[in-house]
Amino acid sequence: MSQPDTCAPTAPPTSRRRRGLTLHETVLIAVLGVVFGFVYWAFVQLWAPLQLAMGPLADLASNVLAGAWIVVGPLATYIVRKPGAGILAETLAALVEVVFLASPVGPMLLLVGLVQGAGAELPFALARYRRYGWWVFVASGVSAAVVTFGFNAVRYGWLGQDYAGLRLAVQVVSCVVLCGIAARLLGDALARTGALDAFAVGTADPSSTRRTVRRG
Amino acid sequence: MTPLERWNPTVKLAVVLVLSTAALLVTDPVTPALCYVLTLGALLVLGRVPVRTAALAHVPFLVFGTSLLVVNVVTRPGGEQVPLGPFTVGADGLALGLCLALRTLFVGMLSVTLVLTTEPVRLMTSLHQHARLPASWTFAVLAAHRLLTELPEVWHTVRCAQAVRDPRRRRGHLPRSPRALATAAFALLVGAIRRAERIAVALESRGLGSGPRTTARPVPLARGDVVAAVVVLALAGAVVVAGAYGGWLTGIGRLTA
Repeated sequence: MSQPDTCAPTAPPTSRRRRGLTLHETVLIAVLGVVFGFVYWAFVQLWAPLQLAMGPLADLASNVLAGAWIVVGPLATYIVRKPGAGILAETLAALVEVVFLASPVGPMLLLVGLVQGAGAELPFALARYRRYGWWVFVASGVSAAVVTFGFNAVRYGWLGQDYAGLRLAVQVVSCVVLCGIAARLLGDALARTGALDAFAVGTADPSSTRRTVRRG
Repeated sequence: MTPLERWNPTVKLAVVLVLSTAALLVTDPVTPALCYVLTLGALLVLGRVPVRTAALAHVPFLVFGTSLLVVNVVTRPGGEQVPLGPFTVGADGLALGLCLALRTLFVGMLSVTLVLTTEPVRLMTSLHQHARLPASWTFAVLAAHRLLTELPEVWHTVRCAQAVRDPRRRRGHLPRSPRALATAAFALLVGAIRRAERIAVALESRGLGSGPRTTARPVPLARGDVVAAVVVLALAGAVVVAGAYGGWLTGIGRLTA
């Protein structure tokens, strides 16, 4: 990258992951953001007619799918394992939807992407980007659900509605399954294809990964 | 180029973001309605967007807004009872639902304005020049955008390739089962990641990230761009002040009241 290597000659190889993103990682995050932005956008197009058909239930049903919109955040964090990767990927996905594909949600989506990405990345940051066991992914889902719920409570006026508690419960379950656990499954499946061999998830020692899993 | 197309994309994006965030803090129906009318006017007059295009762009926001209106009317029975055709609904739910629906329309029109009057490449160049977006990110996103335009074609190729190997295929039909779609989506993702690797090598071999770069088609940022932003924000401020004097403006506190 462009910054001068101030500590490179003497630094041990393990400290490399503390530095910024490499160009390869930047491009990977950009591509993940673009592909998932496209997938989300396609989902929204399918979602709109369904929403009208479901009438008043549609807004409640949006909580059921809440986690699906956040999956790229934990996935990018899992692959790259550096601070900010998840937030960047999620925000980029939102940017692609807004600027290149004209999502019906509007430019607010940029802010939504930022909030979603930050919510999902918080547990990984608390684990100092070192633990990638199932429980961290579950925590990531719960955190993403709570943070986005607080944001949407204001945005869609959920606050003070009769079913606010039920909404939160549904959203937590959705985010744990569709965002946290799905990201781990998808990341493992991608790693098995060998496409990620050049990244942190591919070079991580498999035995240590297994240990992390057993430890929870 | 129309005035809205000439407006610096970075400034335009910033104004749109500020306005749509500020719209969240307002919970009365009149203010977003006024803002919506103003935005639509700007889109048609300053953006010279055909009426038909603008009307078609309304469809998703109308769907979304209607859904929000119905939900709030159903889940907020409080307030005065208002007869509405065969039903009786609470005034609270009706007012809030209307506000959220109109806000959706307003923010939606802002988004449509941005998309219809901004060229993606110009936006990224401007973000690089004026918002200090690093060159590596600018070119990574632009390269990924190229990939995006080819995604539909790749998707079709993957589906055809998988159908050919499917022993139970019928001639002339691509398999439509969720399993087939999921497999194709996964293949698409793996292919995109492998391409990201090649893109990164290509960008690196062109010296990206090795030092300061020049820009091929610079986007101008003049005083007029900033003045336009100030005018738009002042107009939005005037609408809010008018609401405060007129007595119809309400804030977030109303959601739980």
